[in-house]
Amino acid sequence: MLRFFKGFGLLSILLLGAVTVPVQAAGDLLVAPTRVVLDGSRGTEVVLNNIGSEPATYRISLEIKRMTAVGGLDEIDEADVTPAERLALDMIAFSPRRVTLPPNQPQVIRVGVRIPEGTPPGEYRAHMLFRAVPDAAPAVAADPAKPAATGVSIALIPIYGITIPVIVRVGDLGAEATIGEAWVGDTPDGPAFNFGLTRTGNRSVYGDIEVTRPGVSEPLLVARGIAVYPEVGAREVSLRVPPELAAKLKGPVRIRYTEDREIGGGTIDEAERVVK
Amino acid sequence: MRKFGMKRAIVGAAIAALALNAPAAHAASATGTATAKILRQITLTNTSALQYATIISGATASTVQVTTAGVRTCNTGLTCTGTATAANFDVQGTSGAVVGISGDTTVTLNGSISGTMTSTLTYSAASLTLGATGGSFQVGGTLSVGANQPAGDYTGTFNVTADYQ
Repeated sequence: MLRFFKGFGLLSILLLGAVTVPVQAAGDLLVAPTRVVLDGSRGTEVVLNNIGSEPATYRISLEIKRMTAVGGLDEIDEADVTPAERLALDMIAFSPRRVTLPPNQPQVIRVGVRIPEGTPPGEYRAHMLFRAVPDAAPAVAADPAKPAATGVSIALIPIYGITIPVIVRVGDLGAEATIGEAWVGDTPDGPAFNFGLTRTGNRSVYGDIEVTRPGVSEPLLVARGIAVYPEVGAREVSLRVPPELAAKLKGPVRIRYTEDREIGGGTIDEAERVVK
Repeated sequence: MRKFGMKRAIVGAAIAALALNAPAAHAASATGTATAKILRQITLTNTSALQYATIISGATASTVQVTTAGVRTCNTGLTCTGTATAANFDVQGTSGAVVGISGDTTVTLNGSISGTMTSTLTYSAASLTLGATGGSFQVGGTLSVGANQPAGDYTGTFNVTADYQ
């Protein structure tokens, strides 16, 4: 009987824990567009919308990210940025930087650019981070009404957000890209279709990848929004695919890398490859 | 190439004004004086929390693991109760869009009465290719529980971002 009550006490602690810890943190968000390119001095607008069911306060900030050889984006501490990256942070202006939105309330973030005189031609880039500020931590004073327990309950609250690149181009820039070898490989999370992308020139390349089998019109694989940023001369693109598609991708394919549809969809590079 | 560059410059400035892909359920729109523009968008929604639930510590230090699939392993010396879940995030956007996932790999939890614990975090993917219905990723972790860890409610926060290239 005593054991039963002990068990019941534990259960009630668990229930209390479940009540005091919100299962779903506020801060769901929508951001549009997903990429900003600024030429010259004209600015643009980015829309942030609270798509959660609770009011939320969002903070908007700029950070520097560098592309890795495998296509990841590494966040760089402000103390470690290069002079060009510092310049990118300084020339991009935006407002507001903090906004509280009721559910389903969009907010326009104005993004402007001020290029200092004498800025060397090149591509300057920062990543704009939109992230909900967590609610002030609830006062967790020891509750005397709560029976002492041997259990610990855990709440891990994610602070989650979206980053989009903001790119400023100064001067007449150009770049080209070449598709390298393609292969199907295994990752810890399942099979992936991989290929190399080599970039030359003084700006990034960005576009969509379409993999087709010669003689078949329906593409095997489409991946949109693949970039090679100027800090890397080459990167590997690794796209996770279901096992049945991985098997289908092996053999002769045509890989096409095209400019974004927004700017015409011209071909950057096209290659016939035999996927191993 | 030069001709292309020019074209890009003109269109680039007006990039936000272009109507593109069909709007999804939550399409964002901003209204101009005469036209409505449809922008490419991304949404990020947190649909479940990373829950280790309740743990009763033992006389020796041990660990509790929750996989990205939400399966909990309670290691020697610990008693685990309640329902454990992995954190789940839904991402919606243009079909075929590649979205990177990045976030903290460790988090420190502070107890309501005293004590701290640390947890490592694992992500189900480093990047996602969105399908017609979007995509999702999960976050699991391994919690290190000390010997006779002080009881209480432990809270910690960790950062996660969905990154467009």
